[in-house]
Amino acid sequence: MLVEFELIERARSGDDSAFNQVVQVYRKRILGTIARLIGRPEDVEDVGQEVFLRLYFSLDQLRTPEVFEPWLYRLTVNAAYDYLRRQKRRRESRMSDLSEQQVMMADAAAGGKQSDEDQRRSKVREQVEDLLGQVSDEDRILLMLKEVEGLSLKELEKVYNANENALKVRLFRARQRVLKAHDAAASKDGRESKKESADAGITG
Amino acid sequence: MMNMNDKLGREEVLDSLWSEYRSAFPDPEPSANFMPNLWQKIEARRVDPISVFRHFAKICLMGTAALVLIFAISISRLKVEPIASNYIDALDAEHASDYVEVADAL
Repeated sequence: MLVEFELIERARSGDDSAFNQVVQVYRKRILGTIARLIGRPEDVEDVGQEVFLRLYFSLDQLRTPEVFEPWLYRLTVNAAYDYLRRQKRRRESRMSDLSEQQVMMADAAAGGKQSDEDQRRSKVREQVEDLLGQVSDEDRILLMLKEVEGLSLKELEKVYNANENALKVRLFRARQRVLKAHDAAASKDGRESKKESADAGITG
Repeated sequence: MMNMNDKLGREEVLDSLWSEYRSAFPDPEPSANFMPNLWQKIEARRVDPISVFRHFAKICLMGTAALVLIFAISISRLKVEPIASNYIDALDAEHASDYVEVADAL
């Protein structure tokens, strides 16, 4: 726990300054988690504020301060999930207005302004986003919490209010799907590089 | 058939990808407006509980309007069935051939 139980208790009883302190302690960590869950830095603060807004109006439902962190993660997961659903709807309608060529040109223009380090990061993000595109939003969030955020199965149990075995099965299946997508992407890259070297051999 | 080493290799590649992803997304620093904006949102929701009721009422109103519209459309599309024929008409239709048989017999 990053804060004392007493501070949570005070925030729960309606002390705004205590709530303010709680937010200040947790906001950076929560914003980081949200950034990795939703993958869009420009919307992270909005979603983060939504999490703390929900926290403010639901603190009275918190049974004990001991379960505060799983509770906060649950709110984060729900807000991220809501955002992803909204985003999916918006993206579908937006993408249908653009031709494939326009989308590629926009991507290329955006890529041209990045530094090498940014490009490397973008590549990693893109690669992971592609792999996670093979699983549902729920499984994506679960995988992220386990593999990227490093939450233990015990912690996930409290966040999801589900039993450990069920979570293990879900995680295993999601991981298998991601591995399969990874293999497919790797073999596709292998074929493309073979073709390129063959082409170079013909022209050389 | 994939051997054990390949399988372990894939798992390791995936694990390193997760950690690379984590470092590609460091925890962002909150902007200076984060707290003021948050309190603004809290105040907006706290001060105006009527807006929740108003929102609910709006949804109910829209739902009712949609139902009325659906009913209106379905009623206008309903075909007006002709009045069902009475017993005499049914009897007449059923025994229409009897008349021809009697006429033939004569």
